[in-house]
Amino acid sequence: MPSLDSSKRSPVNPNVAALLTWLVPGAGHFLLGHMRLAVAAFVVIQGLYVAGLALTGGAFLDLLAPEIRGPFAGALTPEAGNVGAFFLHVRQIDFSDLSPAPFGPQLYLGLALTSTSGILNLILASRAHFDARAQAGSVIEGAAIHPAAAVLFGWLIPGAGHVSQGRVARGLFCFLLITGMFVLGCLLAEGTNLDRTRHFYYWAGQTMLGPMAFVAEFFSGHPAMEVRPRYSDAGVMLASVAGVLNVLLLLDVYGFSDSKLFGRPLATELKASRRGEPKAS
Amino acid sequence: MDDLGLHIALFLLSAMVIVAVTCMYTEAEDGKAIRLFPRRYATFVLASAAIVVVMIVVQHTLASVH
Repeated sequence: MPSLDSSKRSPVNPNVAALLTWLVPGAGHFLLGHMRLAVAAFVVIQGLYVAGLALTGGAFLDLLAPEIRGPFAGALTPEAGNVGAFFLHVRQIDFSDLSPAPFGPQLYLGLALTSTSGILNLILASRAHFDARAQAGSVIEGAAIHPAAAVLFGWLIPGAGHVSQGRVARGLFCFLLITGMFVLGCLLAEGTNLDRTRHFYYWAGQTMLGPMAFVAEFFSGHPAMEVRPRYSDAGVMLASVAGVLNVLLLLDVYGFSDSKLFGRPLATELKASRRGEPKAS
Repeated sequence: MDDLGLHIALFLLSAMVIVAVTCMYTEAEDGKAIRLFPRRYATFVLASAAIVVVMIVVQHTLASVH
């Protein structure tokens, strides 16, 4: 949690801090004067990306079918969360030639690492935004867990962000809903949804479920699809929607902690007060 | 179970999750989110059904796919 000492206040614009972090991991915190966090974040996030790049040979955009390749094809990938590294990657490697080539055995691990790098950087950018506002304003210490930490927990295990805020029942309910939807999708698609080489963009949705999706992918063993599973389309859709819904839950936990720490009413409390309803205890 | 029945069941299930999550997103209080759910779920399903009807009508009148 940033210090509230007025001598350390910085006029850093929160949007600038978040944008800089998006471009270069840690840059926002560097600007805010949080050097150790900035360096650690840069090393970890860029390290993940470089390791993933080494394992995949940088060829992840080659997973796209030739007819949908284009300058913005990578915009909806989790790697775009680390946009500086992603931009350099695309500038240097882009699409390789269109001739089919076998993917290396480390491809899937590499893809997991580059996508994790992008998602972690987005969470870091959200942290930079909060920290910049906290430096300029007053935060109620201990009122709630840091919003970015709650988001990180919620990404690692769906619902864990709510649990970390003390909203245990809601967290468990979210976990059951999201995990249940993902498992049902995997069962219907017979595990064929868990393969980025087959479902490039739907796989991106699933990455928002965090390590759960990567572990399921690892244990699925990337089965060959000799016969298309009867309900594969429904399965792919359900699993991907589960990931997208987890983003909504992450926004919920961020907003909750943010409001508590700044001592502001939640958006729903504001709406209720406008309607003249009594405030929830 | 036939295909149509299974797809309707899957739709109702996924709609339930979508509406439950959005209820929690829009209401911080658990009790209120639970109270909101039935009405929102019914609205979601009925609105989706209306869209399906429009799509079927369009398919059988304007589209050339048979």
